[in-house]
Amino acid sequence: MKTLLILSWRNIWRHPGRSSALLAAIISGLWAGALTIAISNGIYQQRTNYLINNETTHLQIHHPDFMTERSPDLTIPQPEVIVSRLAQDPRVRSFSPRTLIDGMLQSPVKASGVRIRGIDIVAETATTGFHRQLSAGRFLDQSTRNPLVMGQALAATHNMEIGNRVVLVFEDTRHELTAAAFTIVGLFVSPSRQVDRTLVFVRADDLSSLLADRFISHEIVILLHDIADADTVAADLNTRFNGISARTWFELSPELRTLIDYGSITLLLLTTVIMLALAFGILNTLLMSLFERRYELGMLLCIGMGRGKLFVMMMLEALMLTLSGAAAGLLLAAMALNWLSSTGVDLGIFAAGLAQIGYDRIIYPFLHGSDYATVVFMVIFTTLAAALYPAWKALATNPLEASKSR
Amino acid sequence: MKPVVMTENLGKVYNPGSIPVTALRNATITIDRGEFTTIVGPSGSGKTTLLNLLGGLDRPTSGSVCINGIDIATLKDPELIDFRLWNIGFVFQHYNLIPVFTARENVAFIMLLQHRNKQQIRERADQLLDEVGLSHRRDVRPAQLSGGEQQRVAVARALATEPKFIIADEPTANLDTAAAMNLLDIMERMNREKQITFVFSTHDQRVIERARRVITLVDGAIVTDRQHAS
Ligand SMILES: Nc1ncnc2c1ncn2[C@@H]1O[C@H](COP(=O)(O)OP(=O)(O)OP(=O)(O)O)[C@@H](O)[C@H]1O
Ligand SMILES: [Mg+2]
Repeated sequence: MKTLLILSWRNIWRHPGRSSALLAAIISGLWAGALTIAISNGIYQQRTNYLINNETTHLQIHHPDFMTERSPDLTIPQPEVIVSRLAQDPRVRSFSPRTLIDGMLQSPVKASGVRIRGIDIVAETATTGFHRQLSAGRFLDQSTRNPLVMGQALAATHNMEIGNRVVLVFEDTRHELTAAAFTIVGLFVSPSRQVDRTLVFVRADDLSSLLADRFISHEIVILLHDIADADTVAADLNTRFNGISARTWFELSPELRTLIDYGSITLLLLTTVIMLALAFGILNTLLMSLFERRYELGMLLCIGMGRGKLFVMMMLEALMLTLSGAAAGLLLAAMALNWLSSTGVDLGIFAAGLAQIGYDRIIYPFLHGSDYATVVFMVIFTTLAAALYPAWKALATNPLEASKSR
Repeated sequence: MKPVVMTENLGKVYNPGSIPVTALRNATITIDRGEFTTIVGPSGSGKTTLLNLLGGLDRPTSGSVCINGIDIATLKDPELIDFRLWNIGFVFQHYNLIPVFTARENVAFIMLLQHRNKQQIRERADQLLDEVGLSHRRDVRPAQLSGGEQQRVAVARALATEPKFIIADEPTANLDTAAAMNLLDIMERMNREKQITFVFSTHDQRVIERARRVITLVDGAIVTDRQHAS
């Protein structure tokens, strides 16, 4: 076996030019492919982290119909029971009840549609990181009556600044129109322009008292210690409490689901293209070498080398060539990633468009260990498949090739 | 004692379907151990065809070939390959050696196919290369060897497996006179000292003179079969 390995390896280098060309193609193909995967991983990861940390959290509890109807009377029944339960659950890191309503924000300039999010400052800042995106002022506190935080972009369209007052108009739980004045205490800039123009924060207590005559919650967002527990915690909550629906980040965010699907389709296309190119490269190289070496293969059969060994020899040639190329390509990719994962990749020209939909300009590409394993596995599989035909042809060599007079 | 090779009414027709070419007919030959036999005849007379049949490289269309008492028609293809490995040594006119192996590796390789012990393989390869006068060239690849040197490595390789006999199809055809005579000297010495049986074909009158038995083919038929006194 060792001899066959040596033989195959040396056979590869009989045509250094040809083998190097194939090798270079494999290396650059895998390098580029691995980086592309790593960048899409980075985008996905960054977006997932952002959405989980600032928006979705790991799971959320609502009235079962709230997500579809968003009616103010679809509140969570007995939130205090759920809250005390969550406080005891060791898997839960923190949670934050929210009071939500969609309405209008009016300033002397104009009115715009907004999503009003009533929060408990302590619970919310422990659970989400949105407050870190504050660009000016404070993130709601007790010192002002009816404080409000809005996107800097929204404030600009209303010619508003910190200290100005705006009026929020919305329907209360009895479906009557209510209006109240709020004072702007802070402005934020998030990666998403959409969020900057539509989301405003107020205190849950203030909003509750305007909506109903008691404290109400429409949403409880929950952060876990381990994202992997999301499914089981959601299932536990759903069986324990009636009249609520607990959903995981995966169920809640169509964007993340799409991202995952889109990611896997791109990945599939990309790898298919690379593997096809690899397959043709192998096939071509092996068929060429087979044709040139038919006398020699005949001679090997004559002197008593079995057809099985001949087959193995051809397969080994293909495998060693591609695996060394794959190893080099992935090694180079790993080195590039090692560097890029600290500096990040500046998406530059795409950034403006991406910011519109909430992406950061700089992303940090990375590969999972399993990505490397998958690539190596696919390279092996493709190589074996592509080498099968030439190796089978080698197997069918007639020993008489060796004794032909030329 | 059993003859090394025994054929009976051996015949070969190429392309039996379309345009049949009768390359060999009714060849009945017995070759005993220790013979030094050459097959001669004009181009196209069937020398290569006969040697291929004797070496189990091709199947006859009629008649039979027994090597060391075994009718090779009874062997299936993979068995025949293994049979060649253990029983027959080959020296061809071209492309004898594995180009990516050194002389020593070429000789060792065939013994590795026989699964011999590593130590024994190394010693035997060196000893055989020494016997064909190439100890100083053993770590050189075929491309750096002259034609004569390559054929001597091929003879060393053929001897390595301790075959019943060695078949050589025009081993000297590509060699100059000095190299050809040198190769013949080596073959003759192996034959004399170790009782190695050689069957080879040639066009070369000086080579024919060195054989002890000359079988002449014309149009696929044996016309004469003479023992030389030598
Ligand atoms: N594979 C083949 N298919 C068809 N005809 C063949 C084949 N091999 C040989 N022949 C024919 O069989 C006859 C004998 O050929 P063979 O090669 O045995 O002759 P040879 O004596 O070795 O000739 P040379 O001295 O040129 O090597 C020739 O007429 C040749 O054309
Ligand atoms: Mg011939």
